[in-house]
Amino acid sequence: MSDTHRTAFRNIVGYVEAEALKRQLEAEGSDLSEEKGRVPATINRLHPKRLKLRVNQILEDTPTTKTFRMVAEDQELPPFQAGQYVNLFVNIDGVETARPYAISSSPAERNFYDLTVKRAAGGFVSHFLLDRVQVGDRLTSTGPMGTFHYNPLFHGQELVFLAGGSGIAPARSLALDIIDHARPIHLQIIYSNSYASDVIFQEQMRSLARRHDNIELTEIITRPDPGYSGLTGRLTPERLAELIDQPKNKRYFLCGPTPFNENAQACLEGLGVPRSQIMVEVNGPPKHPEAMAGWPEGISSDHQVTVTVRGQGSFNALAGEPLLNSLERNGFGAENACRSGECSLCRVKLISGEVFNPPASRIRKSDRKFGWIHACVAFPVSDIEIDIM
Amino acid sequence: MTHFDAVVIGAGNGGLTAATTLQRNGCNTLLLERHNIPGGCATSFVRGEFEFEVALHQLSGIGPEDRPFIMRKLFSDLGVLDKVELVQEHELYRLIVPGRQDITLPASWTGIQKRLSETFPDEADNIRQFFDLGSKVAMEYYMGLPVVRKTNNPELLDSQCPNFKAWGLRPTDEVLAEFIHTPALINAIAPYWSYAGVPTKELVFAEFIGILFAYCTFKPWHFKGGSQSVSSAFIESFEEAGGTVRFNCGASRILTQGSRVTGVRLENGEEVSCDYVVSNASPLVTYYDLLDTPTPESVRQDFRSRRKGVSAVCVYLGLDCLPEEIGITTASTFVMSSDNADIDEARLHTLSPPEWGMVTCYNFIDEDLAPAGKSVVTLVALQYGDAWASVPPEAYADTKYRFGGQLIDLIEKAYPGIRAHIEKAEVATPLSMMRYLNTPDGAIYGFRQNIQDGPLFRDPLKGIDGLFSAGSWTAQGGFQPTYMAGHATAKTILRKLKAQQKEAAHV
Ligand SMILES: Cc1cc2nc3c(=O)[nH]c(=O)nc-3n(C[C@H](O)[C@H](O)[C@H](O)COP(=O)(O)OP(=O)(O)OC[C@H]3O[C@@H](n4cnc5c(N)ncnc54)[C@H](O)[C@@H]3O)c2cc1C
Ligand code: FES
Repeated sequence: MSDTHRTAFRNIVGYVEAEALKRQLEAEGSDLSEEKGRVPATINRLHPKRLKLRVNQILEDTPTTKTFRMVAEDQELPPFQAGQYVNLFVNIDGVETARPYAISSSPAERNFYDLTVKRAAGGFVSHFLLDRVQVGDRLTSTGPMGTFHYNPLFHGQELVFLAGGSGIAPARSLALDIIDHARPIHLQIIYSNSYASDVIFQEQMRSLARRHDNIELTEIITRPDPGYSGLTGRLTPERLAELIDQPKNKRYFLCGPTPFNENAQACLEGLGVPRSQIMVEVNGPPKHPEAMAGWPEGISSDHQVTVTVRGQGSFNALAGEPLLNSLERNGFGAENACRSGECSLCRVKLISGEVFNPPASRIRKSDRKFGWIHACVAFPVSDIEIDIM
Repeated sequence: MTHFDAVVIGAGNGGLTAATTLQRNGCNTLLLERHNIPGGCATSFVRGEFEFEVALHQLSGIGPEDRPFIMRKLFSDLGVLDKVELVQEHELYRLIVPGRQDITLPASWTGIQKRLSETFPDEADNIRQFFDLGSKVAMEYYMGLPVVRKTNNPELLDSQCPNFKAWGLRPTDEVLAEFIHTPALINAIAPYWSYAGVPTKELVFAEFIGILFAYCTFKPWHFKGGSQSVSSAFIESFEEAGGTVRFNCGASRILTQGSRVTGVRLENGEEVSCDYVVSNASPLVTYYDLLDTPTPESVRQDFRSRRKGVSAVCVYLGLDCLPEEIGITTASTFVMSSDNADIDEARLHTLSPPEWGMVTCYNFIDEDLAPAGKSVVTLVALQYGDAWASVPPEAYADTKYRFGGQLIDLIEKAYPGIRAHIEKAEVATPLSMMRYLNTPDGAIYGFRQNIQDGPLFRDPLKGIDGLFSAGSWTAQGGFQPTYMAGHATAKTILRKLKAQQKEAAHV
C-alpha cells in the first residue's frame, strides 16, 4: 500500500496513532537479524536430523554382544528419554541401509550413548557392526526418537519391564534414569535369556538392584545348562503371577524378540492386564508376513515381483521382503528411522499394484485414501509402481 | 540445470495453494518440503490406535452447502473439493469457567444473541446493540474497506464504512466494555481472541468481531481424516496438473543475480533455475537464512516494526472412553480459570501454569480417528516460544511433561476424571512447532497480530524481483488466511507471467 492510499485511512479512529507507533518501532526496533540461524541451532540441540558419531570404546559383555560407546563428533549429544533409539546408518559393501538401536546408557550421561548390539541369526547389519566396526570408526545416525519411553502424564509409578535378550538395553537406560534423576518410580525388571552365558549387563544390573530398593531384577533362563540354579523356563501367566504383585495396577514395557513379546503380552492379558497398559517396543518388520491375517491367498513369500520406481528404474524383489530393504539393496533410498511402521518417515506413494500392510504399519487415514504406504513394513504382493517424492 | 517457472518453498497451507494455483494455470512449478509429508501445521500423526490432528480446531470461510463461501470455491477451483469430505460443527463452542460459568453457544449470529439474552436477560438490549454494531463493522471491514483502499477516497470511508471508521481499530476490550457490563457475559463472547493470538486488551475490534461473525455466518468446518487429508489432496491435484513435488528436501539457498531471483539450491546441493520463488517459510528465515544476498533495507525496515507472534503447547490425548462419559458435549470448549479481563499476556512468556486452555474433541468430527469406544482430544494453551528457548536441553522433556500436566490439571477442573482415562498422551511445545515448521519461536500465526501488524498498515515485502512470501507471516495466521494468501500470491505471479508473455509477443 503506498502512502497515497493511506490518506483515506487517516480518518479512521486510532489509525494515526497506530501509524505513529509503527514509525516509532521502525526507528527503534530490532530488525530481528538476531534470528539468523537461530531456528536450526535451537532445534539441533534437541532433534538433529543426523548425528555424526565416533566409536569411543567397545565393551565386550557376552560372546554374542558388544556395547558400542558412541561420542559425538561435532556437537553436544542431544538428550533422550530412556527407551528411545537412534537409527544407525551403515554402508555395507555398497548397500546403504540402517537399523534402529535403543540407547542403553543413562539419559543423565551427556557425553556418550551406549548402543548394545546382539548378533541376530541371519542378520546383516548386526554382523557388520560386531565383526567389522572398530574403535575410532565414524558412523551417522538420526537423533534420538521413538515413543517407547516412560510418560509421567499417565504411566504412574509402578513399572514392570519384561526384557528378552538385547531388550535389556532400554531397560538398563530406564533403571539408570530412575536412579540418576531420583525419580519416585518402582521398576521391576524381568529379564529372560536363552543361555546363562547370554545375560547382558548381568553384573551391573544385579548391583543396581542390590543397591536401590526401587529397582528389582529377576533373571530367567529358558535353556539352562545342567546345574543352573536360578529361575528357568518360558514366561507363563503363572510365573508372572508369582513374580508380579497386583499385576493389573502396573504399567508394562515389553522389549525382546517378536516371539518373546507376543508370549509376554499374551501372558499379561491372561492375568487380566488391560491391553492399554502394555507397551511393546517395535521390533522391525514382521519376519513371516505370509503367516499373518490379510496376506493374499496363494502368494508365497518367495513370489517374484517387479518393483518400478517412477522415473528411476525397476528391479525384481520377493513378496516376503520389506520394500524398504529391497529398495536399498537396489540403490534406491528413502528416509527412515524406526523401520517398524511407526514413524512414517519411509512414506512412499503406491501408484499401482498391491502391497500387504501389516497392522504395525501406522498409516494415516488420509494416507490410506491417497495410496501412501510405509515402505519399511510394506510387502509387494504383486508387481508394483511406486513414487519416492 | 533443470528449469522451473516457479519454485515454491514449503508445503504448508500457503505453499500448497500457491503451488497448485500456479501449476493448474500452466506455470511449471517445483514444490519443496523439508518434511516427508505436506501440510506444515495442517497435518496429523498416528500413535497406536489413535490419529491426532495437529492444528485444525475450526476452519472458517467454507459456508453451508446451499450458501457456499469463498473457501468452498477456492477448494473447488484448485481441484480438491471433490477429494475431501467436509464436516460442519453446529455448536460454536462451550465456555467453562470451572465452578462459575458454563455456557454453550450455537454457530449462528442470531442464535448466540438469543442464547446470551436468555442467560443474561438484564443485558438483552446491550447484547442486541453490540451484535448490531459487530455485524456492521465486520461487513464494512470485508466489503467496504477494500473499495476505500482502491480509490483512496475519504468520502467513501464516511459513506461505506462509518462504523468501521469509529470502532474498527479500537481495542476489543474497550468496545466490549462500552456495551457489556457483566464480566461473565464478556467471558462468553471473547474466547476467539485466541484465534488471533492477542488478548482483547490489544486485539483490534474489527479482527475480533470479523472472526466471530465469520464463524457464525459461514460456520466452523472440518475435514474427515483431519487437515492432513486436504494437504494430501492438494498434492494430488498439483501432481495431476503436472507439478513436481520433493519431500525430505528443504531449500537451502535462494539464488539471485542483481536483486533478481535466478534459482534455488536444494538441501542436497542440487540447484534448479527459476523465474519466481514463493516462500512459505517465515520471511525471517527466507530473508536472513535462505537469501544469498544481503537482506534489502525495505525488508529490514518492515521487520523492525514487527514482533514475533504466539506459539502453543498442545497435549494430544487418546482416551479410553467416549467423550460423553466425562461430560464433553461439544467439539470445542474454552476453559479458563479467571475472567477474560484478567488474561495476562506477560504470563504467556513464562512457564507458569496456564490459566486458559482450549479443548477439541475430534470424535464429534470424525469417529474413525479413535477406535470404537475411545476418543481423541487435544488441549491447547497459547504460549510464546521465548519461554521455552532458554530451557536447557537436558531439562526439556521433564519441563514439557510438567507443563502438559498443568494444562491437564486446568482442563480436569472442567472435565473431571479426564486424567484417569488417558491411554496415550503426547505433548508438543513451541519447540516442536519450531522443529516441524522451521519457524522462529514456533510462532503459529506468524508475526504478532497487533494493530500495526494489520493489513491496513502493511505492504508486500519487496526488494528482490521474483521473490514472494506467502503464509501466516505475511498474511494473517489461520487456515483460511494462509490458503488465500498462497492463492493470491500465485495470481500475482500469473499476471506478471502473462504481461511478460505479451511483451515477448510484441518484440
Ligand atoms: C496448535 C495449532 C492450532 C491452530 N488452530 C487453528 C484453527 O483452529 N484455525 C485456524 O484457522 N488456524 C489454526 N492454526 C493456525 C494455522 O494452522 C497456521 O497459521 C497456518 O497453517 C500456517 O500456514 P502457513 O502457510 O504459514 O505454513 P506453515 O504451516 O507454517 O508451514 C510452512 C511449511 O514450510 C516448510 N518449510 C520451511 N522452511 C523450509 C525450507 N527451507 N525448505 C522447504 N520447506 C520449508 C515447513 O516444513 C512447513 O511445512 C493453528 C496452529 C497450530 C499450530
Ligand atoms: S521407517 Fe518408520 S515407518 Fe518406516
